[in-house]
Amino acid sequence: MEPARGSVKNRIRQLRFEHGEMTQQELAERIGVSRQTVNAIEGGKYAPSLEVAFRIALVFTVPLETVFQFDPDAK
Amino acid sequence: MTVVSRIFDIMSSRAVTGEARLSTSFAEKSVWIQLIGVAVALGLYFVVAGWMLARGITILPAFAGVFVVAVVLLVTILVGGHLVAALVGRPEPTDVRDREIEGRAESRTGWILATGVIGAIGALVVAVEPVWVAHLLLLSLYLAELARLALQLVYYRRGM
Repeated sequence: MEPARGSVKNRIRQLRFEHGEMTQQELAERIGVSRQTVNAIEGGKYAPSLEVAFRIALVFTVPLETVFQFDPDAK
Repeated sequence: MTVVSRIFDIMSSRAVTGEARLSTSFAEKSVWIQLIGVAVALGLYFVVAGWMLARGITILPAFAGVFVVAVVLLVTILVGGHLVAALVGRPEPTDVRDREIEGRAESRTGWILATGVIGAIGALVVAVEPVWVAHLLLLSLYLAELARLALQLVYYRRGM
């Protein structure tokens, strides 16, 4: 079987900027994770659980796909 | 930023990935403390136990005192390390990423302990002395813990 490709991209940094330059710490507190986890999600080092992804979208009051996009061609 | 906090950050980011400094979460600091504690305390135990075995001491209770000292040292490092980490930074509960990292690291290193257990059973079957069986089990536990903690740190820095 061919190894799965693709990765999850996100617009969290841009959305934070658009929401009054919200800090990672503020976002982390609102979704119930550590600041380092927000940093890892933002940097593409960690794909969040569905629950955390929905919480992030809820904070920014946007649909999930506005925050996260799947790039099937990414390695 | 305090010196201790800076040491944690240097250990966790620059040494492993060479990336720009990223502050370390309390959970990650805790993993560093556990790794150092286990490596030092049980490492010293194996040095002393190896020396005793080399001198022909094979009575298991003779190792109990050394083991107790190693456990006390381990607890001291863990308590002291977490105390310092809590003083230099705000302690936070583990989150979903911490638990996922721990679970994944555990699932990928569990075979080390399993191999040791199977080896110990095999050793019992061929009537190897209990002192060797006990140390085989302890060594497999030691190596499994070191591998798990090291893998957790890789996941924290490199991502999953």
